[in-house]
Amino acid sequence: MKRAAAALAAFGAAVLLGTALAAASAPAEPARALDDYGQLEDPALQARFEHITEQLRCLVCQNESIADSNVELASDLRRQVREMLLAGRSDDVIFKFMTDRYGEFVRFNPPLEAKTLLIWGAPFVMLLLGVLIVYRIVRQRSRLPLDDEPAPGSM
Amino acid sequence: MWKFMLPMGAFVALAVLFAFGLNPNRDIHALPSPLIGKPAPLFSLTDVMDPARTVSNAALKGQVYVLNVWGTWCVACRQEHEALLDIARQNVLPIVGLDYMDQREKAQQWLTQLGNPYAAVAFDTDGRTAIDWGVYGAPETFLVDGQGRVIYKFISPMTPEVWQHDFLPRIQAARRSGA
Repeated sequence: MKRAAAALAAFGAAVLLGTALAAASAPAEPARALDDYGQLEDPALQARFEHITEQLRCLVCQNESIADSNVELASDLRRQVREMLLAGRSDDVIFKFMTDRYGEFVRFNPPLEAKTLLIWGAPFVMLLLGVLIVYRIVRQRSRLPLDDEPAPGSM
Repeated sequence: MWKFMLPMGAFVALAVLFAFGLNPNRDIHALPSPLIGKPAPLFSLTDVMDPARTVSNAALKGQVYVLNVWGTWCVACRQEHEALLDIARQNVLPIVGLDYMDQREKAQQWLTQLGNPYAAVAFDTDGRTAIDWGVYGAPETFLVDGQGRVIYKFISPMTPEVWQHDFLPRIQAARRSGA
């Protein structure tokens, strides 16, 4: 039992290390689409601009964010985000502006609400189901007699 | 009992998922518009044919109309042009055009050469009106009722069949309900 726990811990550590290494060796920044106007002067605004545009789906290419996409619509939407930030709008207002026009699909990260409960809840439900199945199998097997133990009454 | 039900349930769930997900008639790029049932975004833009004139949809209130988003760069718009001309000839309602991401000269040339099905064509120079309408491609065709609410959106080239099956019944219903 102790050995199994140690092996599990070692495996866990290896997975963590592997992920960390992969993250460290990955290219630092994906290519970004560029507009005529440069970065926003205020670094805090620029950070919010990058965060928001990475969270918005380009509806023409659908698997790219508007931060990455070079199509004209993405560029128009970046301009929109930029102008709203400069006008002092909050992130929530900007996201609402986009979902009011393009629907929830425009967000890569849908907010947790009644409609999206299934998306957010499914992984946990599946995890619970898996644990339950494993638990049942383990309990069933632990009730079986061990192979090397003589069956009672066979003496 | 549940040992039998579990795989059965999983099978039914997968079958339903595949029936929906693998349906070849489903356009995976067509997204439901959040605008349906909401007031149509207002615009006031210059006319493609005559920059001195403005085209505004506020003036259309009280009328059922169609807004067709197009551009000369859009191959599928060329494809639907015949259908639009045909619909315009039926004189059922005004078709308002929204020329999107385009050049005025090219658009004028297109309309003079191919025929003009539009009551008026608004020229969206910077794509802002298109953003308000949630446009992400072309052609897109919206149906607006007399109260100025968007009641339908069709993404793809217009065809006589689509007009017959998807638009005409909705137009009649909108008119019957007095909207």
